[in-house]
Amino acid sequence: MRSGQLLNPTAAQRKARPAAVRPRITRRGLAAATAAALLLALAACGSAGTGSGGSGSGTINVGVIGPMTGPAAEIGSLMSGACYAAVLDVNHAGGVMGRKVGCALVDDTGDPADAVPNVTRALATTSNLSMAVGLESNTAATTIPLVNNAHIPMVSTNGLVAYDKTRDTYFWRMTPSDDQNGAAFVAWAQKKGYKRVAVVFQNNIGAQGNEPGVVAAVKKIGGTMTTNITIPGDASSYSSVVARVIAGKPQALILAGDPQTSATFLSQYRNLNGGTVPPVITSTDSITPAYFSAVKKVMGSAYMTHSMFFVGSYVSPTSHAFSVYKSAVYSAKQIKDPATILGVGVIASIYDGINLMGLAMQMAHSTSGPTYNADIEKIATGTPGAVVVDTYAAGLAALKAGKQIHYVGVGGPIHFNAYHNSPGSFSASGFDASGNPVQLGVIPGTQVQQLLS
Amino acid sequence: MNVFIEAVGFGIAAGVVVALGAVGFTVQFGISNVLNITYGALMTLAAYLGYALLGLGLGVWEALAVAAAAIALASVAFNRLLIAPLVRRGTGFVGVVIVTVAAGIIIQYCIVAIAGPDTVSYGQQAGSTVRGAGFVFTTTQLIIIAVTVVAMVALHLLLTRTQLGRAMRATSANPVVARSCGIRTERIIDLTWLISGALCGAAGVALAITTVSFDFTIGPTFLIYMIAAAVLGGIGQPYGAMIGGLVVGVGTQVAAAYSSPAYQDVYAFGLLIAMLLIRPRGLLAAGTASARRLAG
Repeated sequence: MRSGQLLNPTAAQRKARPAAVRPRITRRGLAAATAAALLLALAACGSAGTGSGGSGSGTINVGVIGPMTGPAAEIGSLMSGACYAAVLDVNHAGGVMGRKVGCALVDDTGDPADAVPNVTRALATTSNLSMAVGLESNTAATTIPLVNNAHIPMVSTNGLVAYDKTRDTYFWRMTPSDDQNGAAFVAWAQKKGYKRVAVVFQNNIGAQGNEPGVVAAVKKIGGTMTTNITIPGDASSYSSVVARVIAGKPQALILAGDPQTSATFLSQYRNLNGGTVPPVITSTDSITPAYFSAVKKVMGSAYMTHSMFFVGSYVSPTSHAFSVYKSAVYSAKQIKDPATILGVGVIASIYDGINLMGLAMQMAHSTSGPTYNADIEKIATGTPGAVVVDTYAAGLAALKAGKQIHYVGVGGPIHFNAYHNSPGSFSASGFDASGNPVQLGVIPGTQVQQLLS
Repeated sequence: MNVFIEAVGFGIAAGVVVALGAVGFTVQFGISNVLNITYGALMTLAAYLGYALLGLGLGVWEALAVAAAAIALASVAFNRLLIAPLVRRGTGFVGVVIVTVAAGIIIQYCIVAIAGPDTVSYGQQAGSTVRGAGFVFTTTQLIIIAVTVVAMVALHLLLTRTQLGRAMRATSANPVVARSCGIRTERIIDLTWLISGALCGAAGVALAITTVSFDFTIGPTFLIYMIAAAVLGGIGQPYGAMIGGLVVGVGTQVAAAYSSPAYQDVYAFGLLIAMLLIRPRGLLAAGTASARRLAG
């Protein structure tokens, strides 16, 4: 498999309604989950013959499992971008055990039903597929079991609360789950002085996952939830819902919806509220050019730059690790929109994840998942006397010098719990006038955990 | 009470768009006996055509008119080049339906290939807000309501007051007898596709104006509401389709005003089923051959 080659480019045009990173599970998903179980054996058999053991030879492939086509393709583009940046740095530093690393894009189309055959095929046919990244909420329920059963370590960006306490050996997550994100929305509202918030979530799995965290956190801060409404996506009119929300006189809207739903809702809010709309707090999943383009056209530039806050995983823009990451993102020729990739904190975990898994392989002298999987935690947590490294190159050099290492990457320190989760801290970002993300503030992870306790 | 009146107003604004499309759908089906699922994709095409025309500097109503004309011609071509030959060769009713499904998917893929998968927007076209008697409308919604009413009246006059309308109804009732009476039924069917296409195009742009932003799935997503409205009104019954559209629109908005909006469609379609249980052939009695076939 050539580096960067697009696997399984099925152009799924089903309405999975994406833009937000943590969308939905459909009935087809349930069927697909059943199919996944039947195909596990095949996947496992397939991967067994793909050179995932020992030091081997040839390019080591990172399976970037995400929606490369269809309505959620923008998410796949972000994921693959982070991979291209990571392999650029890894290969520039000398690769893993002297071998090149490449990105093998696996198109799950954002649809669990398509994801099962596509991922199964990729696991069976991609040579040297030794790590995986992506596996977002839409398809996580079907793709993660496949990868886990193939004994391939993975760094997932999914936000499903179900994975807060997973026992999947090869699953790792360095981003918060959706309920933690929900609590972070409220933490930001509190920071801005908004005590009366209206909660409006689209009826998809990602947005619905935020809701328990929002409810718990609003209660914790002694705030008022003026309305808590779930809306269908892409309706032609939300006027009745908008009228209910306006009646509650909220100071801010916690709104999670895809670009089309958000644009329609906010536009009708403005029409029915004398031209004014309260500030919106939403997920960094939406800080994309598509969202900016769709919403700006109806809400105007001033609203976009002053009244929209996107809350999600924190990355420190002043750290050395970030500057290295940024340089790689701007240098990777496959990346068309570097500013957006840098603005979405969740995506940085893919970059960190590839560095981490690459260093773990190097440390274990093996590309075999069962062999190097445990070293991921060792490097992330650090052992006494370990050298702190913030790039792959620094980590590789230290390992070659015979030292133990402790990786602290773009997302800051990693503290994996017993379930391989490290939610980290949060940040709030906004758009500048050109639609580029700008970081506005930081929300400590401890504060969010307190809101949920 | 205010909430209810307000919701009814919102429902009328949403329902007229459904009605506009449903009338075109049901007229075409009633006369040509083709259940045209491509209708949804053609609505999408109209929405994107309107978007392109706005980009060229046309006003939104000019764009609506041009898109309606373009889709009208496209519909005639679609029938002449694909549907009519299939019917002539004896393709059955279901076979033709499947072809329209396939054609719709192809059109949708072509739209994505050209325009991309991302959401696009006509921008803020709502105009000012008008309040009265508990209702709240935007000026744009009022214009869409007016356009729909004018289209319905014109269609009514065409069907009931003109020789052409009588020929259309005759073709609808029994094409063989109509042909033996000297009616050029192929031309009548062409004209039906033309009218249906124009309403489809107008509905596509009106829908894009109403939703503010949209993507390539807009037409097929709303086709189900239009079919529901057509069935509720009585297949082949333009006035029934209009009433059906309003019932669907008002039903969803009233449901959203009083319960979880996530289930607004459940309530609206539940209402539809209940009404069909009471009036199995639709609100207005089904009279065409197609209607009899479908309504049982």
